Amino acid sequence: MEAYTISRDNLRTWLDTLARDYTLIAPVREEETVSLFKPVRGFAEINLGYTNSTVSPKGWLFPQTEEMFFFSTSDGQITLADAQTPGPAVLFGLRPCDIKGILALDPVFNGAYQDCYYQKRRQDTILVGLSCTRVERHCFCTSMGGGPTDGEGADLLLTEMDDGYGIEVLTPRGEELVNRYQQYFDADRENRVIPAREELGKKLARQFTRNVDTTGVKEFLDQHFELPYWGELARRCLGCGICTYICPTCHCFDIFDQSPDGESGVRSRCWDSCMFSHFTRMAGGHNPRPTQKERVRNRFLHKLKYHRDRYNLDGCVGCGRCVTRCPVNIDIRQIIADLQEVARHD
Amino acid sequence: MTKCHCRNPLKPYPATIVKIIDETPDVKTFQMVFDDPEVMENFRQKPGQVAQLSVFGVGEATISITSSPTRKGILEFSVKKVGMLTSALHRLEPGNKVGIRGPYGNHFPYEVMKGKDLLFIGGGIGLAPLRALIDFVLAEENRRDYGKVDIIYGARSMDDLCFKYDILDRWPQMPGTTVYTTIDRTEPGWEGHVGFVPAYLEEINPSPENKYAITCGPPIMIKFVLQALEKMGFSDDQVITTLELKMKCGIGKCGRCNIGSKYVCLDGPVFYLSQLKQLPPEF
Ligand SMILES: Cc1cc2nc3c(=O)[nH]c(=O)nc-3n(C[C@H](O)[C@H](O)[C@H](O)COP(=O)(O)OP(=O)(O)OC[C@H]3O[C@@H](n4cnc5c(N)ncnc54)[C@H](O)[C@@H]3O)c2cc1C
Ligand code: SF4
Ligand code: SF4
Ligand code: FES
Repeated sequence: MEAYTISRDNLRTWLDTLARDYTLIAPVREEETVSLFKPVRGFAEINLGYTNSTVSPKGWLFPQTEEMFFFSTSDGQITLADAQTPGPAVLFGLRPCDIKGILALDPVFNGAYQDCYYQKRRQDTILVGLSCTRVERHCFCTSMGGGPTDGEGADLLLTEMDDGYGIEVLTPRGEELVNRYQQYFDADRENRVIPAREELGKKLARQFTRNVDTTGVKEFLDQHFELPYWGELARRCLGCGICTYICPTCHCFDIFDQSPDGESGVRSRCWDSCMFSHFTRMAGGHNPRPTQKERVRNRFLHKLKYHRDRYNLDGCVGCGRCVTRCPVNIDIRQIIADLQEVARHD
Repeated sequence: MTKCHCRNPLKPYPATIVKIIDETPDVKTFQMVFDDPEVMENFRQKPGQVAQLSVFGVGEATISITSSPTRKGILEFSVKKVGMLTSALHRLEPGNKVGIRGPYGNHFPYEVMKGKDLLFIGGGIGLAPLRALIDFVLAEENRRDYGKVDIIYGARSMDDLCFKYDILDRWPQMPGTTVYTTIDRTEPGWEGHVGFVPAYLEEINPSPENKYAITCGPPIMIKFVLQALEKMGFSDDQVITTLELKMKCGIGKCGRCNIGSKYVCLDGPVFYLSQLKQLPPEF
């Protein structure tokens, strides 16, 4: 498809304009160490130099807490009213691993029962990717079939160049967006954009500090559910759930009602975590995953096996967030390597 | 991106409780009707499926639809009071409003069961999902499709027997149907069998020939019933049970009810014993 270039000045104006015409969601530097995606009013608030946001941008499509509908009971009748949806949005500056994370969520919220909340936001949101410029210590996207300059899943992909940014149009929706703001873009007449991105990709590929080989891990897990290894890991795990909250592919949620007056209120959903003990506890107290061992095993099997079984996609995109944030250094890359090792001795 | 044309599956339909039957000290059966007659008409559950029941302001719980689809115009749910939502339901009265969404999950393989004898083994509130299939099979329009129907049912005490009107009065009257009822310990006024369900099952010692066994009850009962059936020569493909796992969304999104790669809300709650043996033991 088409490619364009945009100067730094024009990028600034374009983003200011986008923020007026759409809800613009972009990476923002909040505090020293926490960066996240949120609605911005213009270029000035955006941090394009971030490597990986602390919290993944999935929260725009699947909010941490989301109102589903309002109910009211009066005169013995029940009325249900849909919560407002945000309308047309641009999710700007997505790193390739996070776009892949969205691709991993898509089939969950699609299927025989469509999740209207996710689907509506997904349809209304244009995804603009941004090639990485650095590789962090914990990144391992290339081990999970991705790459720091992969645009797969994005409508547009931006790549930083010496004199501005290259823009590749990847979908008709991306094309519409570019056409709408044509005045800011120059056609890529010398065909510089794709070679520049490929060059960057090669350069970054050499910067990964740790690559893991996932070959055979899924097949090994297909055959082995019980492994003493899970018990060893679980002894360290605090069950804090951080790993699941920041993961771009985790999608578990709880549903709850709030009704201050007992007559009207709202039903919402919010992120939940399989690392918590109450997650599977049933009325009467029976818990099919009674200890952290079963819960840790469930999380990693979900990432490395279950998601593949159901959707033919890995449940991990190699963003490295859970590696960075786990307070006790539980490292999915190490787990993959350890499982390889266990498999070899099997 | 596929467009979403469906009606929002997470939004319940308003319904009204029309009648409440006290089954036991902590179980009530609720008869419910959707407020919108069109919804009532289009709600086509199959025996074994569940629904999410809402008490607005409190939340939702997964409850088996205990009435047979052959009974049109009404849905029945039998609910044991164990927590927030179930207690809130128990406080409601006829005329009160609730929400229902569903039907969810797979169903008993009633097509495959055609031409076979059926052996039902239930314990306590576990009879609720079985009842949908029993009444489906015993319905006039389906009865000749199935062979003999045996029902073994037990509860802790006389008071704890659910659906007394069915097990003591209605079902024993039906052609080709035998009902065996038992309670754990003897009581004044009880003339029937005394003892646990699995032991009673072994006493009755039904032949596995041309038969399906369908069981549901507390986990401990199911465990021993499965062992007993195996001893009697039932193959893993002749034994069917339902699994209970914590559920929230009912539609494969919330990630709560997985056993390995399966979701109980989509791939269950009904499983053949042969399927159960393929699953990791997390239930
Ligand atoms: C497929 C399927 C079919 C089902 N069919 C039926 C059915 O036909 N009939 C039926 O009655 N049930 C049925 N259930 C079970 C039913 O879904 C649960 O009992 C119900 O969801 C409990 O909801 P609740 O809000 O009342 O309980 P909650 O308030 O959610 O209570 C459950 C949780 O809170 C804890 N808890 C609550 N109260 C206490 C307490 N006092 N002390 C200690 N811990 C407590 C429990 O340990 C448990 O973790 C079915 C479940 C499934 C999955
Ligand atoms: S499991 Fe960890 S590394 Fe993989 S996608 Fe989730 S947060 Fe990133
Ligand atoms: S972040 Fe680490 S300690 Fe916390 S639940 Fe996840 S694996 Fe366990
Ligand atoms: S109940 Fe949500 S996934 Fe099964």
